[in-house]
Amino acid sequence: MSETQCDVAPPVPPADDSDGANWGVLATASLLAACGGSGGSSSSSSAPPATVAPTPTPAPTPAAPAITAAQASRFLQQATFGATTAEIARVQTLGFNAWITDQASQPRTAHWDWLVANNFAATATMNNSTGFDNSVWRQIITEPGQLRQRVGMALSEIMVIGVDGVNLSWRQMNGGAWLDVLLDNALGNFRTLMERVTYLPAMASFLTYLGNRRANATTGSLPDENYARELMQLFTLGLYRLNADGTLQLANGQPIETYTQTDVSQLARVFTGLVLDSTDNTNPDRYRRPLIFNNGIRETGASTFLGATVPAGSDGPTALRIALDTIFGHPNLPPFIARQLIQRLVTSNPSPAYVGRVAAVFSDNGQGVRGDLLATVRAILLDSEARGDATLTSTSGGKLREPVIRLANWARAFGATSAGGLWPIGDTSSTTTRLGQSYGRSGSVFNFFRPGYTPPNTAIANANLVAPEFQITNDVTVVAYVNYMQATIQNGIASDVRADYSPLTAIANDSAALVDQVNLLLTANQLSAATVAAIRAAVDSIAITATNAAQNRVYTAILLTMAAPEYLVQR
Amino acid sequence: MTPLTDQSRRAFLKRSAALGLAGSAGPFVMNLAAIGEAAAATSADYKALVCVFLYGGNDYANTLPPYDQASYNLYQAARANLAHARDGLAPTLLDPVSALAGGRQYALAPTLSPLMPLWSAGRMAVVLNVGTLIQPTTKAQYTAGSVRLPPKLFSHNDQQSFWQASNAEGATSGWGGRIGDLLQSGNGSATLTCINASGNAVFMSGRSAIQYSVGSNGPIALLNNGSTLFGSATAAQTLRNLMTAPSAQLLANEHATVSKRALDTYAQVNSALGGAPAANFSLFPTGNLADQLKIVARLISVSQELGARRQVFFVSIGGWDLHDNLVAQHPGLLATVANALKAFYDTTVSLGIADRVTTFTASDFGRTLTSNDDGSDHGWGSMHFVLGGAVQGRRFYGTPPAIGSNTPDDVGQGRLLPGISVDQYAATLATWFGVTPSQMATVLPNIGNYNPSSWNLGFLG
Repeated sequence: MSETQCDVAPPVPPADDSDGANWGVLATASLLAACGGSGGSSSSSSAPPATVAPTPTPAPTPAAPAITAAQASRFLQQATFGATTAEIARVQTLGFNAWITDQASQPRTAHWDWLVANNFAATATMNNSTGFDNSVWRQIITEPGQLRQRVGMALSEIMVIGVDGVNLSWRQMNGGAWLDVLLDNALGNFRTLMERVTYLPAMASFLTYLGNRRANATTGSLPDENYARELMQLFTLGLYRLNADGTLQLANGQPIETYTQTDVSQLARVFTGLVLDSTDNTNPDRYRRPLIFNNGIRETGASTFLGATVPAGSDGPTALRIALDTIFGHPNLPPFIARQLIQRLVTSNPSPAYVGRVAAVFSDNGQGVRGDLLATVRAILLDSEARGDATLTSTSGGKLREPVIRLANWARAFGATSAGGLWPIGDTSSTTTRLGQSYGRSGSVFNFFRPGYTPPNTAIANANLVAPEFQITNDVTVVAYVNYMQATIQNGIASDVRADYSPLTAIANDSAALVDQVNLLLTANQLSAATVAAIRAAVDSIAITATNAAQNRVYTAILLTMAAPEYLVQR
Repeated sequence: MTPLTDQSRRAFLKRSAALGLAGSAGPFVMNLAAIGEAAAATSADYKALVCVFLYGGNDYANTLPPYDQASYNLYQAARANLAHARDGLAPTLLDPVSALAGGRQYALAPTLSPLMPLWSAGRMAVVLNVGTLIQPTTKAQYTAGSVRLPPKLFSHNDQQSFWQASNAEGATSGWGGRIGDLLQSGNGSATLTCINASGNAVFMSGRSAIQYSVGSNGPIALLNNGSTLFGSATAAQTLRNLMTAPSAQLLANEHATVSKRALDTYAQVNSALGGAPAANFSLFPTGNLADQLKIVARLISVSQELGARRQVFFVSIGGWDLHDNLVAQHPGLLATVANALKAFYDTTVSLGIADRVTTFTASDFGRTLTSNDDGSDHGWGSMHFVLGGAVQGRRFYGTPPAIGSNTPDDVGQGRLLPGISVDQYAATLATWFGVTPSQMATVLPNIGNYNPSSWNLGFLG
């Protein structure tokens, strides 16, 4: 199938689409068949968007239906840090598939370069992480390559670093170097990503293999096992053997462990000898460069793990390559990564079939390439479980939006800008006054939440479902979030980050138009009719003649939407 | 006894705080009148369990280093570059009521010295080699694979979960919550039975008991208790309605459930805490763990107003996964814990309720005895502390494990094969709290694998 068949007709005017996404089942099936999986490696990514819809008249039968604004917004809730009016139109113009292709070629300013340009690599900031949050917020709110940004954050929650746990100078630069590796490879190949992450000074410090020494018979000391364990458990394979659809393999009714303590101890031997490539601490540059091997402390004996052996006498890069190739080739990797990426983008509880479809693309993008993340993400976003209507009415589909993403949703939907250009939103970790989550600031390598977390003693648990984001949701955070958003919506942040509500204040007298627009941008029209009515009534309770009525009506519409569980759960 | 007025309790707390600061003997010279005065604010049959979870896996060997020369030599040999100097341990050498067999001696890490007065006063017990098990397990059985073992030993998240819930990650209730299931009916508000001051933990959820979270200053007020939102009372009411609206969608409904609980409970808890302002709890040092324990103490002090007779609390501190920098960082973490626990205990003494509050430590696992050069790796059994006025302290419980690698008591590199299961540790706490033997299996599903005579380790009488 050619790519153009996956693309949709030119945009229709954003008509009233409050009936929500409305794909015909047949059309959905045919488009998915055309676009699912194998379209990932199209070589047409350099073609300008204008060439995508050359046909002057719509083809009668095979053409996919027009994408409604609500459908486009829904797609953007999954694929980006939030919908904007412009991006909705862009998706409608390009179609889902071509939009994805176009995103992969969008430029990005490296965190590192931005941090340097804004003086955060200076001596004055060498003992703190100042600038890290600025760069993070700037990127997720403003960078045009939003798909890369969203997948990058997902990867940051798999290959986790918490910048405060990096024991090196210039934590902002180390954090920037980590995110640059994730973002540079977010739509690239997973094998490359594994290697780049392993050679990262920030990761080596965070997971304590920087300067890791081979066993010492005299003192009895053994190699540090931290990275060997967490690389397998958290970054790539998981604890138990998986079927290709992510379900557990069982033996006598019991799950089968992926690796043993011996595998961990043996693999740990490979991650010895890695050191910084320079002792120059007058600037942070060595934290951007890959680690090198110090053979004086590196294990050179044979190491056997996961059924593979690194031969005695292998040099450092060779030993590491064998180790990473072994893990990369493990059958657990495709379903393990597929499931987690689906959870981060689309739904907490994908069906095994969905995981299986995505894992199959991860295993082979259709051209014999394993680990193609662009193809994998494309398969995730174009799947019927992401695009179809069933999830919209299911009692279990979708996911709780992460607090960081909610704030970015607001900033993007309402055109927030930073007056000083530095996006001083800061660390949003406080559970009592802010979001209870801050990008890149997880307290441990186990992320803010676990992919298998289920809130205990709830209907979710009783239904054998998981809801990872509920691990950071409790009596404290649900109220603090609303308080923080109330202040943010009204005042902006730090007297610097402010939304441009002019498109909304212009229609503020018309509560129906106002609420519809907010509903489209933030929830893809997923608010129920009753909720829309309640929000309209609240808006209309502020008399148009009152002081600051237009502003207060806009604030009310936005805050009530963002506090509604129908927004908080992305479907 | 007449309940204290808010004013008199505040005055009392100020007095007792001053006493506590007067010196290490302060809390113990409280006069009987003062104790009786405070007790009125807390029901006579009140009891609280406080779990202090050390996230990351605490290094047992440097927390409770061996002290007798023979043992110290083995310890020092196994981790020469990590070991405490023996001279430095003399001030914190533990002198139990009855000496351990074989001349074994332990000291506290030097930075745990703030706990020495509790030990000496018999208000702190040391439980040796506690860890996750499903049934009693010998080294031979472990080696032969002939008994069931907790899944995913040495994995942080799974062992945290097994400690708290008797199941690996994904467990849907924990033993703190299951204790709450049995005892919440005696509380005026079931919601206030299991209170977490550090976010979420499966430990605190029962099969019916729910986990209630508070911030370090108490519950959070929605919109600073404003009755209008952007100038509109309707908008403010709509906000509450939307936040708490039931939904057929399970995730949305759960979010609304949490919000409803938070908003419904706020006024009651906030009002009660108004009678116990943080400023009056002046024994506590600064810091996150101390802040958590302070709100626990404040809540306990108003437990009668909240109608609570049995409460389980959870506090935590992270940073214990010291694969690196053990020597640099571990002492400071221990000091933080010791100072916070000392302040908490002294506060309960000041309130006259020390014998009704039992505090215990927990952690993912112990670590290796063997050094990895500048730290230690994931292990299994560990050493834990129980503190409180009801504790039969200045005693060790359990058997000192052999020291070294591949001894009968470890499974390699000094990863201790637990001699006491978490179930037995928990059963002892639960028994004191009022759980009967016939109820114990509902709290601890594997306890039946142990001889009932071993369910109560005795550290709570």
